[in-house]
Amino acid sequence: MFGDFETRWGKVLFYVLITVFVLMTISPLLWMAKMALVSPAELDVYPPKILPESLDFTSFKTIFGDARFRSALVNTVVIAGFTTVICLSVGSIAAYALARLKFGLRGPVLSMILAVAFFPAVAIIAPLFLQFTNWGIVNTYQSMIIPDVLFALPLTVYLLVAYFRELPLDIEEAAKVDGASPMQAFFRVTLPLSIPGVVTTGLLCFIFAATEFLFANTFAFDSSTQPVTVIIPQFATQYRTDYGAQAAASMVVTIPLTILVLAFQRRIVSGLTAGAVK
Amino acid sequence: MTTRKVGKHRSAMGRREFLRLSGAGIAGSALLSACSGFGGEEEASGSGKVIMSHGPDPVLEGLLKKQLEDFNAQHKGEIEAIFRPMGEDYFDQLRTQFQAGGGDIDVISGDVIWPAQFGANGWIDDLSDRFTEEMQGAYLEGPLGANQYQDAVYGVPWFTDLGMLYYRADLLKQSGFSNAPATYDELFSMAEKVQSDAGVRHGHVFQGSNYEGGVVNGLEFIWAHGGDALDTEDPTQVIIDSPESAAGLETYRGTVEAGITPEAIVTFTEPECDAAFRNGDAVFMRNWPYVYGMLLAGDAEIKLNQVGVAPLPAGEGESEGFSALGGWNLFINATSDVKDEAWELIKFLTTPEAVKFRAIEGSYLSALQETYEDQEVLDQAPVYEVAGQVTDQIRPRPVSPFYGDMTLEMAEEFNNSLKGETSPEDAVATLQESMQGIIDQGTS
Amino acid sequence: MTESATGVDTKPRAPGGLVRGTLRTLRNEFTDKERRLGYILVTPAIAIILAIALFPLLYAIWLSLQEIIINQSSSFVGFQNYVDMIQDPDFHSALINTTVFTVLSVSLELVLGMAIALALNRAFKGRGIARATALAPWAFPPAIAAVMWRLMFQDQVGGGILAYLIRSSGIYTHPILGSDSALIVAAVLVDVWKTTPFMALLLLAGLQVIPQEVYEASRVDGATSWQQFWRVTLPLVRPAMLVALLFRTLDAWRVYDLLWVMGNRQLNSLSVYVYNGVKISQLDFSLGNAAAVFVFLSSIAIAFLFIKVLGTRAVD
Repeated sequence: MFGDFETRWGKVLFYVLITVFVLMTISPLLWMAKMALVSPAELDVYPPKILPESLDFTSFKTIFGDARFRSALVNTVVIAGFTTVICLSVGSIAAYALARLKFGLRGPVLSMILAVAFFPAVAIIAPLFLQFTNWGIVNTYQSMIIPDVLFALPLTVYLLVAYFRELPLDIEEAAKVDGASPMQAFFRVTLPLSIPGVVTTGLLCFIFAATEFLFANTFAFDSSTQPVTVIIPQFATQYRTDYGAQAAASMVVTIPLTILVLAFQRRIVSGLTAGAVK
Repeated sequence: MTTRKVGKHRSAMGRREFLRLSGAGIAGSALLSACSGFGGEEEASGSGKVIMSHGPDPVLEGLLKKQLEDFNAQHKGEIEAIFRPMGEDYFDQLRTQFQAGGGDIDVISGDVIWPAQFGANGWIDDLSDRFTEEMQGAYLEGPLGANQYQDAVYGVPWFTDLGMLYYRADLLKQSGFSNAPATYDELFSMAEKVQSDAGVRHGHVFQGSNYEGGVVNGLEFIWAHGGDALDTEDPTQVIIDSPESAAGLETYRGTVEAGITPEAIVTFTEPECDAAFRNGDAVFMRNWPYVYGMLLAGDAEIKLNQVGVAPLPAGEGESEGFSALGGWNLFINATSDVKDEAWELIKFLTTPEAVKFRAIEGSYLSALQETYEDQEVLDQAPVYEVAGQVTDQIRPRPVSPFYGDMTLEMAEEFNNSLKGETSPEDAVATLQESMQGIIDQGTS
Repeated sequence: MTESATGVDTKPRAPGGLVRGTLRTLRNEFTDKERRLGYILVTPAIAIILAIALFPLLYAIWLSLQEIIINQSSSFVGFQNYVDMIQDPDFHSALINTTVFTVLSVSLELVLGMAIALALNRAFKGRGIARATALAPWAFPPAIAAVMWRLMFQDQVGGGILAYLIRSSGIYTHPILGSDSALIVAAVLVDVWKTTPFMALLLLAGLQVIPQEVYEASRVDGATSWQQFWRVTLPLVRPAMLVALLFRTLDAWRVYDLLWVMGNRQLNSLSVYVYNGVKISQLDFSLGNAAAVFVFLSSIAIAFLFIKVLGTRAVD
């Protein structure tokens, strides 16, 4: 596609394209960093200047001085953490059954779980809201964790089935020959061997729940439960949208997520593509 | 709903309980009835604890904290008031809370456009028995009227807000004008002259985006030209389809066509306006009194002594302009079980002294008549002088329990009209139909 | 998605035997230890899906057949809400916006993603860095990406760098956030920024399993790189591509957070229409539920199209 990589011009063109791609990808992040790190006065200057002229941490002081933002960070971690734990517990046993055990409805069950990935979340917000009202759990962590688990489940099962299938069957068989039940084989052999896969899957679950917006925007109505995705777009006072604070808060949230993703990038890529290419 | 009886220790239990139960899976969650999340600067309420909420406003929040401390000291052992800050989507949050069964906030601060909707739904209490007519007599008519709906009074005015015309007095003088414009015609010609004399980027800026502020600005242009949205005698009748209203929107769009207002005005909200003005990029600006406070702080490019403030101009053939009423009121949640305590708090926050404190410390406009004659306030909060001149030119936005649905229609049509995508005549005709439809559907 | 049931014996039998056979199979399903364990292990997952997806969906369908005014009244009206919805101009704009957004973003992401995947499929210096960069935007919460980009598209303010560059280059001189069509294009750009790299990685995985010999064989036959791409690469990467396309299309079709925040609540899409109906309006609750059911059915239709017509296989 990229012509003759072997010729010199081909090579130059190729590197130019790659550089453009990398720049396009990261320049918005750099602009955000600039917005977060300049003084409030510089934020208002029009026309905008590409390079920052001041270095100022007012925006960071604003967000960390704001109890709503601090609690939103905690809320996000709690919601995403519980979603991950529940999803992994429910998903790993289901995935094991689907990868290893033969039962009649295996195919339909797998299809049903994966079909949830196609389910439009917005279709059920009204019924869920009414149901959660009855249960008295609107504006609690559960009101977000419950639907988050549902929508993180297909990804979890998809990834774990792929991981479990990759494990050699004979170790498990050996355990069974030694008298272990299928459950014992799962907990003693399969699960320990697939720790890397489970961790990666958990990370993706966590990212999914931490970036969720629709349910949080629907079910959480004050700072005791709202996660960062809901708080940041509202970084405003009665009259002013605080652009600097929005930029700073976005940085605080996305940098750890990005670092996590980069640290696990090889595993994430191989996990996500494992099923797709077979 | 999260029960109100969860005390400090119960709340912590609730969280532990949650940890345990969530491990047990989804079924567990259904059993949970009380689990407040993290971040409780307040420890829920037992008897005598009054939770009060307000939208984001750091300056006011600071003043309020001080006032609540005083209140709590006065009522030590009996009542404890706790403040809960809410986000920019305060209205949606409140409504969600009401629909989910009432919520746990006792004293709700609310925008002037909410009483009809909240009251008609039975979400907030009619305060007629507590807020006597004698007490009501001390208030300015506009802010008080905003709380009255169908023989009931749902709230006590807390502070008020109104639209004003800020102008660059220094530049106007340089170009040979001695007074602020009284009409839009004058504003247009002054803006054009000053823009070219002094090389200022924008002549006039206001809030034209597709949002509540755009509704306020659009209505102000319509009122200035003698039009209105609802019949004041019979608020179930929409009367926006009139030549006067169309003339208002004509001038609205005219600002862009004349080149005194940037095309980007269709995305401007308050901060874009005040940023432009404080940066010296605008000759005129329609905005709320808060900008005065910002200029007073003195860290902007433009200083207070370069700026004048005046009532909004009148349209062609009219004698005066009108400013939309803004501001906040205090309501009592219908599901509160500490209503007497809540009322004590409301009384405390609306005494002349409390109002004066917020006026002097934060330039917040009082809804009490007497504050505008208080020399101490006039000296220390100069914005009162200007505001005093316009208090009888304030008008409320349409009072209706379906204002929430109507305002979305107005926001969109005013914005389309400002963009030049819809003619003023079409815009008001469309609104006539859609707004009447909302009222008819809602009252059927 | 399309895996057929493996355990149940479905060979045709004599009518009487069919019943007996099925019964025997059924009994067998629950007496056999391994099979029973299988069912026990998937039960929690299935219970979650039934309780949190299926039951609410049925509830939404039921709600969509009622005329409900919040806090006031409700009555059964049959399909009236669907009729009202189809006549609502806001629904039309939601449908058009969603379609335009989906078609534009998914096709751009496919073309760009393929180009990047082909590039990354070569060994070159800095490939690791390029691949790592590709993943960075993917971890961004869409709502926060929207906040960030909205700021850059804001006209006449200090943060609005893109608006300024676009305006001064003369590409588009009107306020971007002030026009629905410009906003959609802007939202497509954000989506492309956020998702193309991910699309590229999925395609890259597809490319990497194509054996090198296939390329060599076609080169011996004298095919140009261009011909090679169309005749060899594309057919072989097609299965992976279709899966990626299916997911991206359905994601774009139900987009909510990006448009909600980018458009500051004013940009209509199907999901925004539903949300406005059920959460914002006092009067349009039923209309919103009808639209919710519509979003569900149209998603099914799209998935069906991909699976049955194009032969997408999400599961081996």
